[in-house]
Amino acid sequence: MRKHTLVEFATHHPRWVAAITLIITALFCTQFPRITLDTNPKNMLPPDSAVRVWNDEIEQTFRLYEDTIVVAVHNDEGVLNLKTLGKIHQVTEQILAIEGVAARDLVSFNTIDHISADSEGLDVAPLMSEAPTTTAALETLRAKLIGNPLFTDRIISEDETMAALYVPLEEGANGKQVADNIRAIIAAQESGDDFYVAGDPVVRDTFGADMFTMMGLFAPIAGMIMFIAILWMFSSLPLAMSMMAVAMVSILCSMGLLIGLGFPVHIMSSMAPVFLMAIATDSIHIFNEFYHRYRSGGNKQQAIHETLDAVSRPVRYTAFATAAGFAVLLFMEIIPVQVFGGVIVFGTLLLRLLSFTLIPALLMMMDEKKILAAVARENSKEQASTHWLIRLAGIGVNHPKKIIAIGAVLMGISVIGITQININNNLVEWFTKSSEVRIADEKINQSLGGTASGYIVAIAPQAEGIKTPEAMQYLDGLQRHLESLPEVGKTFSIVDYVKRINRVLHEDNADFYVIPSDADTIAQYLFLFGMSAKQSDLDNVVDYPFQQANIWLQLKTWDAEAMRTVIRAVEDYQQQNPIDLEFKPAGTAYFNVVWNDEVLWDMLKGFILALLVVFILLAFNFRSIRWALIGYIPLLFTIMMIYAVIGFTGKDFDMPISVLSCLSLGMAVDFSIHFISRLRQRMDETATTGETLADNLLWTAARPGKGIMRNAILFAAAFSVMMFAPLTPYITVGAFILSMMLVSALTTLIYLPALILLFQRWLFVKKALPDTRSSASAVTSIGEGA
Amino acid sequence: MISLIKKLINPGLFLVGLAAVPSMSLAMDATEIVQRSLDATYYAGTDMRTKVTMQLVNPKGDIREREMTMLRLNGVDGEQRYYTYFHRPTDVKGTAFLVQKFTGKEDDRWIFVPAIKLVKRIASDDKRSSFVGSDFTYEDVSGREVADETHALIGEETFEGRPVYRIESKPVKPIDYSRRVSLIDKERWLPLSEEYFDLRNRPSRVFSAVKVESIADIWTITARTMKNLQTGYRTDVTYQDINYNSGLEADIFTERYLRNPPQQWVK
Repeated sequence: MRKHTLVEFATHHPRWVAAITLIITALFCTQFPRITLDTNPKNMLPPDSAVRVWNDEIEQTFRLYEDTIVVAVHNDEGVLNLKTLGKIHQVTEQILAIEGVAARDLVSFNTIDHISADSEGLDVAPLMSEAPTTTAALETLRAKLIGNPLFTDRIISEDETMAALYVPLEEGANGKQVADNIRAIIAAQESGDDFYVAGDPVVRDTFGADMFTMMGLFAPIAGMIMFIAILWMFSSLPLAMSMMAVAMVSILCSMGLLIGLGFPVHIMSSMAPVFLMAIATDSIHIFNEFYHRYRSGGNKQQAIHETLDAVSRPVRYTAFATAAGFAVLLFMEIIPVQVFGGVIVFGTLLLRLLSFTLIPALLMMMDEKKILAAVARENSKEQASTHWLIRLAGIGVNHPKKIIAIGAVLMGISVIGITQININNNLVEWFTKSSEVRIADEKINQSLGGTASGYIVAIAPQAEGIKTPEAMQYLDGLQRHLESLPEVGKTFSIVDYVKRINRVLHEDNADFYVIPSDADTIAQYLFLFGMSAKQSDLDNVVDYPFQQANIWLQLKTWDAEAMRTVIRAVEDYQQQNPIDLEFKPAGTAYFNVVWNDEVLWDMLKGFILALLVVFILLAFNFRSIRWALIGYIPLLFTIMMIYAVIGFTGKDFDMPISVLSCLSLGMAVDFSIHFISRLRQRMDETATTGETLADNLLWTAARPGKGIMRNAILFAAAFSVMMFAPLTPYITVGAFILSMMLVSALTTLIYLPALILLFQRWLFVKKALPDTRSSASAVTSIGEGA
Repeated sequence: MISLIKKLINPGLFLVGLAAVPSMSLAMDATEIVQRSLDATYYAGTDMRTKVTMQLVNPKGDIREREMTMLRLNGVDGEQRYYTYFHRPTDVKGTAFLVQKFTGKEDDRWIFVPAIKLVKRIASDDKRSSFVGSDFTYEDVSGREVADETHALIGEETFEGRPVYRIESKPVKPIDYSRRVSLIDKERWLPLSEEYFDLRNRPSRVFSAVKVESIADIWTITARTMKNLQTGYRTDVTYQDINYNSGLEADIFTERYLRNPPQQWVK
């Protein structure tokens, strides 16, 4: 018993243990100033992943910017009035001067190229180099804007109530600083128009700020709530403080390690403190047992040794089970999930080490009188709660068949719910409905083509292949086909330029808004356009050798399904109209599709792995496959119920939830381990006194069951804080863990006794033998390996 | 290589140029230097004919080529006419471009699109826009006016073996660059390097005279490059078959010849 010697060392040298723990923690804390945040969703996949390499290549080929801030101006009366246009002009000029803005490629009324022609000549010039000051000038501008497909739904909404500016950022620019500057410029404008600032950089920065709030505010609040709950449960300040001390040491060391190893803090790892705090509550079983053992005073050191003897096995195995659940995450493809898994594994193992060192040491250092006083207070409360727990377990013990039947029905319903699950990651929906990001996104989606963007790249077999009338016509047809999808707000490609030029060169006759039938004409139009337009106008839609064309898509939603629909539509179109062109999706929307599939596959892989690992651990712990199976059922039951709720409510099954599926296995199994281990210990102890199985079940529900209930309540209390967080993933995680803990505690106390009673013949095959534990292993041939 | 060519060229030729400016003083005024540089770069001879090859290179290293014949005729008071005929890319062959340059007034530009046999005037309110998609602007190709900028002589030095003036010019009216630092050859008056700074005073574009040759006793930049430091794009230009003072007629520079290129000059 290696742990035992550790405990002895701790009880003999409590001050040493405390001091060493403090020094080590301080060392890990020195890493904190190096903290970096990573809020860029594309870092969910490694830089050398195929989709990122491809997207980088597309950005370079078509001179695209990774980051663009969208500024929208909204006015119910319409934005085409002298005052609003004056503002747009002024705001644009000021944004152009902001550090980090790629001024040459900013798209706004001031800068966008307008192609027009009259009997005199052709004009490619900025649409609005000066703000109009007369109504005549205003009408001229309106005439240029309205009905020009190059502008509609991009920089002006069809109903004229919204105008937009697209502000590309230089590589390495500070998106937050630029956005703040833009907000300051907007704030200085006269009232009358609503401005919205949106786009990826804004989303990411808001995200980062919210993550800091989460770690800096919500984790401490969760800690406080747990502290108060422990204080209420044990009525002892030193006890509550020592439990918090264990949690804090684990959190500080784990986060210090993460930062020290150079990993940036990501959405998942920002939740690690709350997770560790909750996992730390498992040590409540130690305190729970200690209270019972030390009830009558006596030798404290011996009471500590006895306590840890009694709980060491379940505590160790629950730690392994939790660690295993998280360790599964290390095999996932999504980097932040891997990192998160690693941090929690480290923290959980550290917590267990502390259970056998720091906790005994702290217990030794506590004033005996205070502990006894607390124990006395606890005893007076005991009757009521014990009674309640026995009644709870009594439901299962007294009506095992009914309970199991009800459970089976619930499981059946759960299966239906699970089939309704919708896998989707929508980053914008990670923000709450009232957040600035959501509101801006919704407003812009209502009026303009959409904030979500993706590309379809057409690749010809050889250079110049895009300039042929066949290819052009094909792209045109494809665009119209895609625009017929409700998910697609607008498409835009080289074809739109060619048609526009054809029309303006023919006296703006709408009949000429078509692609010329002759290749040289197309080439000369493009050449003409390239002679007068900004370089990026052409580069954005076609590559240098005219072998690849880029179709821009504006989608109405960030749902991965939207881009998937587009990709399918492209494939369908190609199947019905075969042509020698290859089509490849790209851009952020495409990244989300790839990432989504990755999440799904990871989730499945991780879930199956976690199921397996946890089962093996249970079998080892119980030395019995049968007991492992029985212990497994409350766990499965809980998870199925929660997934069913997700399925029925239509909540997206996103990355945080998929990560939780593995974790929940590792955490919810704790209760089964405690319950079954202690029940079987009790069976051994009472083998000669003739108590029935039902008696023993009720005892287990009352004594370690109290620990289970307390653990569940603490867990739930800690995570309930997250339901008030500013980002929905936190809310989801909070609600998920809260319900999981409560449901699994209840199933452990009600459903598990019913199962054990019903299957007792099968579980206790050779009841006649004095040692149940070795008899079980004899039956199942698992062996004594652990 | 470049310096070798430069060394081989007889510095005495410089005196020919000097003779045209009787009131030459040693401490030259910056504006005067820039004026002379503009004259040497854009107004050499009475007319010029050259074959121009242009390579547009993107950061990936992809290349777009343009090949054209350029004719230039000087008029009075700084007026000029340019006629540009495109040979390549082949699908635009026959496209022709006419510019009439005035002082103190916007240029007139016309283009002929052969596929639809159409001559169109092109509005030219932005001289700073790209010339045929290259990193050169129209202004870089056909010249700016000395009064568009204020000039200051900020140093004299040696650049790649040549004595140069270092001149800083700032645009009078707000435009897409905040200042421009040029190194002007003290003897040949050609700019050997020009660095443009954007409105935030960061280097944006760099012009380099890659090769300077004497063609019929006129110093000429025969290879030049313009690099966009912010986008990584680059344009390389070479002049070949340069003829000065070959007697180009003014009527070549009219709409009729846009439609029917003057075969004698455009080959």
